[in-house]
Order: sequence, then structure tokens, then C-alpha cells
Amino acid sequence: MLRRLRKYGGGARGVVTLMTSSAPLVIVGGLLYAGLFVKAEAVVQKVEPPAIERRDSFYGVAAPDERTVWAVGAGGKIVRSEDGGHSWTRQPSGIDANLQGIAAWDAQDAVAVGNDGIVLVTHDAGASWTRAEVPSSGNPNKFFRVRLANGAAWAVGEYGALLRSDDRGATWKRVLPEEDRAWNDVAFVGDAGWVVGEFGALMKSADGGATWQAVEMANKVSLMSVAFRDADNGVAVGLAGTLLVTSDGGASWQQVPALTREHLYSVVWDDGRWLAVGDKGVMASADAGAAQWQLGRVAEGDVSWRTQVARAGSRYFLAGSNLAVLDDGALSVAGHKRM
Amino acid sequence: MKNTTFGKVDAAFAFLIRFRALVVAAVAVVTLAMGWQASQIEVKTIFSDLLPRNHPYVEVNQRFSKTFGGSNMVSIMLEVEQGDIFDPVVLGKVQKLTVDLQQVEGVDTYQIISLASKKIKEVRASTEGVESRPLMWPDLPQGAGELAALKAAVLNNPLVYGPYVSTDLKATLVTLDFSDGNMDYTRAFNQLMKLVGEAEGDGVKVRIVGEPVLYGWVNHYLQETLTIFFAAVAALVVLLCLITRTWHGTVLPLLAGLVSAIWALGAARLMGFHLDPLVVVVAFLITAQAISNSVQLIARFDDETRQGTPSAAAAARASARNLFKPSMLAIVADAGCVLVVALTPIPLLQKISFIGTVWVLTIAVSALVLTPVMLSWFGSRQRFIHPVNINPLLMRILGICSAIVTTRWRYAVLGMAAAVFVVSGLYAFNLKVGDANPGSPILWPESDYNRDAAEINRQFQGSDRMFVVVAGKEPGALREPEVLSSMTRFQKYMEAQPEVGGSISLADILPQVNRVLREGNPMYQELGKSTEENAELMYMFVSGSDPGDMDRYADADAKNGAVTLFFRDHQGETIRTAVARVRDYVAEHPVKGAEYLLAGGLVGVLAAVNEVILAGQIEAIALALLVLVVCCTITYRSTVAGVFFMIPVLLSNTITFSYMAWQGIGMNINTLPVVALGIGLGVDYTFYIVDGIRENLHRAHNVERAIVNALMGPGKGVLITAMTLITSVVLWHFSSLRLQADMGVLIALWLFISAFSALFIMPALVYVFRPEFIVGSKRRPIEQAEPVLVG
Repeated sequence: MLRRLRKYGGGARGVVTLMTSSAPLVIVGGLLYAGLFVKAEAVVQKVEPPAIERRDSFYGVAAPDERTVWAVGAGGKIVRSEDGGHSWTRQPSGIDANLQGIAAWDAQDAVAVGNDGIVLVTHDAGASWTRAEVPSSGNPNKFFRVRLANGAAWAVGEYGALLRSDDRGATWKRVLPEEDRAWNDVAFVGDAGWVVGEFGALMKSADGGATWQAVEMANKVSLMSVAFRDADNGVAVGLAGTLLVTSDGGASWQQVPALTREHLYSVVWDDGRWLAVGDKGVMASADAGAAQWQLGRVAEGDVSWRTQVARAGSRYFLAGSNLAVLDDGALSVAGHKRM
Repeated sequence: MKNTTFGKVDAAFAFLIRFRALVVAAVAVVTLAMGWQASQIEVKTIFSDLLPRNHPYVEVNQRFSKTFGGSNMVSIMLEVEQGDIFDPVVLGKVQKLTVDLQQVEGVDTYQIISLASKKIKEVRASTEGVESRPLMWPDLPQGAGELAALKAAVLNNPLVYGPYVSTDLKATLVTLDFSDGNMDYTRAFNQLMKLVGEAEGDGVKVRIVGEPVLYGWVNHYLQETLTIFFAAVAALVVLLCLITRTWHGTVLPLLAGLVSAIWALGAARLMGFHLDPLVVVVAFLITAQAISNSVQLIARFDDETRQGTPSAAAAARASARNLFKPSMLAIVADAGCVLVVALTPIPLLQKISFIGTVWVLTIAVSALVLTPVMLSWFGSRQRFIHPVNINPLLMRILGICSAIVTTRWRYAVLGMAAAVFVVSGLYAFNLKVGDANPGSPILWPESDYNRDAAEINRQFQGSDRMFVVVAGKEPGALREPEVLSSMTRFQKYMEAQPEVGGSISLADILPQVNRVLREGNPMYQELGKSTEENAELMYMFVSGSDPGDMDRYADADAKNGAVTLFFRDHQGETIRTAVARVRDYVAEHPVKGAEYLLAGGLVGVLAAVNEVILAGQIEAIALALLVLVVCCTITYRSTVAGVFFMIPVLLSNTITFSYMAWQGIGMNINTLPVVALGIGLGVDYTFYIVDGIRENLHRAHNVERAIVNALMGPGKGVLITAMTLITSVVLWHFSSLRLQADMGVLIALWLFISAFSALFIMPALVYVFRPEFIVGSKRRPIEQAEPVLVG
């Protein structure tokens, strides 16, 4: 018994000796292994792309109520704000093509249009956007803008595209035949409607858009936008600072002497005044008579181009080479820390 | 066996000392010859030396840097104090600078880009069609009308407004590139600074950054670097003189350092190497080794003479014989550790490693042979050359060491050392590879260069560039809509990283041309829908321009193009993140007909350097430790010895790494040589102490007495070396180059920890654990020394 214990004791001592004498070898082996095979791996921080990226340009903006704002732009980008433009979240559009225009019935329902005949519709505040069927075309089929009038949605675009939807964007039908001229904007007041386009073209409708008549225009410069404050008084703006004013429902137009050589891309009737925005930060405004125009800037030092302006409450939202909010004269550019 | 080795060493030194005149003459002749070689050595920075060999990024950089911009890009910013840059005076300066820069040596005249160069164009539609013409070349705008037109053209051109004119219109950029290769940084720097000086004034501030400028500044401070070097050496002399109070104690260590340095630099020149001004501190590190060895020999010599060894020659022989083993071990282990650095495939590090290995090996002659031989000439009587005696102070310190080791305090010391090791070991993981802060870590944050860099990076998208090559499979690949739109998405993806200030590629240019073609309507600012349309847009852009103007974006047959990313800083973290993101993007979004190749430009090659350092970091440390373990194991015929001597090395490394992490000193191409050479540095003090303990045990078997005696003997040498070197290294702190100041502190820290471990921790470890290879065991008792015959 005792001998056996001693034998075990001897064994244990042997194990300890083996361990102490092998430890250095293990260390040497470990070093050799580490030296030859272990490679340090860099830990890389994750970068979350912001909702609005520096490179983003926006073409269309819509503000159905004071808090809700949607904007669409290059690369299929759709962003939405639910706090009046303070913070923005990206919405999945599922496409890479540029989106050019957006219009919203309310905070839930909206329609966006863009390049390659793309029309996207949402009924759930933008959580999901689905492609709508549009009449096929063999021509470049880029839509520029979408407008709402009397519950219907109207889209304008290249190759004479003027499309109408009466079911909140689900189906669309062509109202005018295709021709080699783009329509850039459409506006309605009641049953009276107007479309403007390339080379100064303008058509008007008196029956809610069922039939359209071309208006003979002296101006041959492309018109980019049109707005009316009632069935008679309206303004159309276009390239190279073109400003046209009508007071007879669009039958005849007077050219306002050009204030600027910069392009004007969008005009709106802004609750008592006309407001137009365009290239390099220019902004033109006039009182209801539209006779006396003043040229200014969206903000001092700002030289971005702007393709659309929308207002909700006291704030203006500007789509263009960036997405900006103008609040009481102070311009803040969404997604830009430095400015 | 032990005694036979001893006998052989003794006989060898007896021989050397007998023919000491011949030995000294031989060393002098070699030193003269090497000195002549060393005086021919070139002190300069060669950028290509910093680039890892055979790294794919470096290969991409070398293949494409001629067209897409290399790593020698320089940015000059002209900034107005009032108004904006659209002022005839300011534009005149831009134009003059642009023209004058062509005369700068080594500049690639096709890559000087500014508002006034022919390369910056606007594309515009006119009645005759579309034309692209230079913005401000050959003539400056005349009158208010033309100035306003220029301003409008700039604002309208995203390739200019942003990249070359700041968003607030207060600053404009001139960029230039140098042909890679053997450019002379000093000449280019002086010419650039002269032009910058001429452009300054009239309310215009000029700032300049870029790698050539940075290395120009380093060379600019070369004189100061040398002054500090000699001041440090002078401080060494004074301190040695103060502490040792003898001529031989002052002169011989210095002689050892000097001879080693001359031989090493001469050998470097013979190997065809040059000396990088940034690594002068490394020279100091190895000189410290030489001095340490010599001081040990002298301290031993003084002990021997004090104990009544009859002649100086005998005392010199005795000290050489007794210290031969620890000295040789220190030299061989160090040389091995330094040689391991050569495994890192970066030419600069390999050169430093080879020079360093030779340098360390020369200590075998300069200290081990020359010091005892010279000592044999000095009389055995102690003659003090000044009355100040700090010997009692040294003895007090060593007394404290002994007191701690022989009392229970030793457990406190060991416990503290273990705690410090664990804490610093964990903290050391915060050490960053690459630069740890914005700006250049070579210079102080408030230096002109770093201030200029910060200001330029604030006003513009970023002065540090990386290009990612989009390599098409066939000519014309870059006209494919799929490839171009992939580039756009890639740029957008990369720009999400905050440090990426912007990017530019062909995919940015074509939409601009398209917009111009469509009456300037931004709704058409997009790529062409088809290959033909893109070809047309490209043709519009290049028509009327010189061949080669498109080279920055794509080659002539549209096969290979580049996406250039602008970085606001080149911290290791920034670069790693960017490179990982490029890889992620490429893996997730393969594009038919082309592939993305990493990476060129300064940031691209820095990414390669950092990757190599990161991958080699563990390898270098582990293999250096292995060399050390193997050397110690063989010397003491004990594997335990190998592990035992790892302890001070690991401790000094974890603490130094922690210090670097704490101070924000990154592990980069400039700090790596010091760090790598330092791995083996910490251990030689411990060799002397441990060998002293063994030697004392040979005489009488009392561990406690042996330890105390070792501390009082070799311990004194350790203390003297550490004190003198640490004090003189502090002088580097006054360098205008932050890198050298940092490295000076690092070396001082290293020496301090090594000395501390040798004097406090290691004796305590010996006392507590009594390792067999030192104190012996029943199985392998320590041989008792037979008295060696002297005479």
C-alpha cells in the first residue's frame, strides 16, 4: 500500500518534472507558431451611410402636411421627414434610375416618377414602393414631374408624354400622342389645365384635361414650369431667365424682361406672391399682379441649382443639387454638417 | 568544461593584450578606412524605400501613378483674407505660380493643375455646338465682365467648384505631381518654398502640403538633428566623466560607440545603402549598446584593480574574461533580434536591419576587444580627475536594491511587476498601426506643415489621395453604362465615410457634359443610356483639348480608368476602414466587364505599408523573442534560461507599447525601426546581473550574498549606463521633429525599464524561484571555480 502510494508519488513527481521542463518548449513552439502563422487582423469600424449623402441631388419634393416631407432624386433615392425637415429617413425604392418628381395626396399615399418610364406608388407612407404599369413606349420615356389635380395624378415627360391616373397611381393612360418634344410641367385650376414644354410649347385644356389645344407662342425658349393662382392668372418660367405672365387663362402671354440669364426651373403661387427658383441659387418673386419682379437669392452665398420648391406651414423645402429647408430666411442643407 | 572555455577566452585576451599596439593599430587602420567610406554616405529620404515589395497596391500604384497621380502629390492653397479669389491680383498670383512651378525640379509638367492651367475646362454649348475650353488659359480675365463670367463658370462646374475653388470662394488650390523615382526632396522643397514665398502677400496667404514638402521639412531640420546628436554625445561625455571620475571611464565608452558607428556607417556605404535622416535616433540606440558594454568592462576593471590585481593588464584580462559570456550573449541576441526586422518586406526597414545588425556586431570589436586592450594601458592606481563624488549616491541606490531583494519587499516588487505587466499588456492592444492622429506624426501638431494641412483639409475635400483603378477587360469598357453607373454608386458608397472628403471619376464628368448638351438642364445630369451615347459625351469633353488631358480619368482607349478618393487625413484607422469598404463593395457588387484594383496614390501606398506592418507585427515580435530564447537556451544549456530572460523583454515591450498607445504614437514606418530594435535591447542589463550572480556562486554557495554582490558589482555598471544614457536621450525632446522627440522618450523609457528590471525585478525573481541554471541543484551543482592563474 505504502509502496504503491510512493509509486504514485513518483509518477506525479515525474509528471510535474515533465511539465516544468516542457513548458519552455511549449513557449518556444508557441512563439515559432505565432511568428510564422498568426497574422493580426485589423478591426474595421462600420460606416452607416446617412439617409442623405453628400453626392445626392434631388429633383422633386412634396409636403402633404406641415410635418411630412418627401423628396426624390438621383440614383432612385427617396427620403422622408416626419418632423418638418429636421431629420430624414431613407426609403427603399428598389431602383437605381433617377427619380424626377413626386406628389402626395396625404401622408400615406404618394406617387413618384422618373427615368426609364418608372412610376412608383406607395399607400403606406413609403414603407413600400411598388412599380405602376405605364403605357409602353419605344422612345426614351423619362418622366419629369407628377402633379395632382381634382383627385387625378398627371405625369409629364419626354416624347410628348402626358399621362393620367384616376386610381391613385395604380394604372396610367396616355392623354396626348407621342411626339418628339418633352413636356416639362402641368398645372390645373378646376377644369382649366396647362402643360408647358420644350421650345416654348404650351397647351391648354378647358375640360379637366380630356382635350388639349396648342397656344401660339412668340417665345421659343423651353419652358420648365407653370403655375396659376386662379383660372385666369398664371406664370410660366423657363431657361435663360424666361418669365411669361398671363391674365386671360393662358390664351395670351406677356414676356417679362429677363431679370437674369440663369435658368428658372420652378414657379409656385405662394399664398399671395409668385416664387420662382432656378440655377445658381437664384430666386425671383413678384406680387399677385406679376408685373414687378424682384431677383434675389434663396440665401446669401448659396449657389445650388433648385428644380422644385414646396411649402408646408412656414417652411420651404427645396429640391436641387442638395435638399434644403428655408425657415424664416435661414437656409439649412439636409445632410451637410459643414455649411 | 566551463573552466576550459574560460581558459581559452583568457588565453585569447592575454594574446590580444600582449600585442596590444598591433591590435590598436589594426583597429585604427580599419576605422580610418571605414571612416573615409562613412564620410561619403548620403543622408536622404527615398520614398520608394518606404514601399513594400511585391505588394499588390504598390504594383497598381507603380503601374498607374504616371496617369492617375502618384504619392508625391503636392497641394498649394492660395487663400484671401478679404473678399473672394475672383480678383485680378489673386488670379495673377495663381497664374504666375502655375507657370513657375514648371521649372521646379522633377515636377511632372502635365500634372500641374490650377484655375490657370489648360487642364481645367468648362464645357459649354454655343451656336456652333458644344466646345470645351480652358477656364483661365492662356489669359487672365480682363475687366469686371470677364471676372463675373469666370466666377459663373466656376460655380457651374462641380469639377472646379469644390475640388479647386473652396465653397466659400475664399481659397483656390494648385496641385502638382512629381515623377516618382529618385527625386531630390531637398532641391524640390527649396524651389517650392521660394515660389510660395513669392506668391505670399497682398492679402493672400499661401499654404503647402504633400509628401515631398514633408520630407523637405525633415531634411530642412537635418542640421538641427545633427546638432542634437552631438549635444547628446557631449552630454554623455560630461555625465560619464562626472560619474566615473576617471579618464578611461570617460573616453573608452565613447571610443567604443564611435568606432562602432564608423564601422557600421562605412559598412552601410559599402553595401550601397544611404541613411534616412529620420532614423538617426536609431543610431543612438545602438551606440547606447556599445557604451553599455564598455562601461561594464570598465566597472569590472575598476573593481579588479581595487581588489588588488597586480597589473592593469591582468585586471583588463580578468574583466574581459569574466564579462565575455554575458557581453557576447547580449551582442549575438541583439544582432539576431535586429536581423529579424529584415523579414518585413519594406526596403527601408531591411536596410536599417542590415546596418543595425552589422552595427551591433561591431560592438564585439569596439567594446569587447578594444576596451580591455586600451584599459591595459591605464595605470592600476585610481586617479580621480575631479573632486565631485557621486559614488555614495550610486551605492545608496544599489543598497536599496539589495535591501528590497533580501527582505519581504521582494514580493511587493514582483507583485507590482506582475500587475504592471498584465495592465500594460492589455492596454498595449490599443496601439494603432499607421498614423494615430491627423496631420503628420513626424512634425509637431503646431508646426507650419501640420497647420497648413489642417487648413487645406478644412477648406477642400482633402489633400491625401487614393485612386482605385477600374480596369476594363476590353478597350471601351469605360463607356459601358453598367461600368460607369457602378463607379457612381461606388463613389457614393465610399463617400459615406466621414474622412473621405470627396471623389472624382469619369462618371462625374459625363453627366456634366450631358447636362450642357441638354441646354444646361440639371434633369439631364446623368450618364448616357448607351455605350454610344457615353462615347459621344466623352468625345465632346476631349474635343479641342490636348491628348492626355483625359488621362487623369481614363486612358485613351477607355480601357482603364480611376476613381480618385480625397481623404482629409491618413490615420491608420481611416485608411483601414476605406480599404475594407472598397473590398466589401467590390465583393458585393461585381460588375461585368471591369474590376476594381486597389490602390494607388499616397493613401494607397500607405495602406500597403500599414497592411505589411500589421501582418508582420506579430511575426517580428515573436521571432525576435524566439531568437532571444534560443540564444539564452544555448548559452546556459537550459530551456528555463530562455524563458527567464523573456520576462524583462516582455515587460519593457508591453510598457513601451502602452506608452505609445497612450501618447497616440502609431506603429508606422518611422517608429517601427526603433520599436523593432528595442525588442532585444532590454535584456543585456539582466545578462550582466545574472552572470554576476552565477559568478559569485562559483566562489561561495550563498544565494543571498551572491545577489547582493552582483548588484554592487555589475549593478553599478547598469546604473551608470542607464543614468548617463537616459539623461542624454532627453535632449532629443528639443527636436523640431516630433518623431525624434517621441523616439527619444521611447528609448529613455526602454532603458529605464530595462535597468529597473535588471536591478529590482530579476534579482527578486532569482531569489524567489531559484532557477536551476543560475543557482544550480543537487543534480547539477554549480562548479566551484578553481583559482585561475594570473600572470
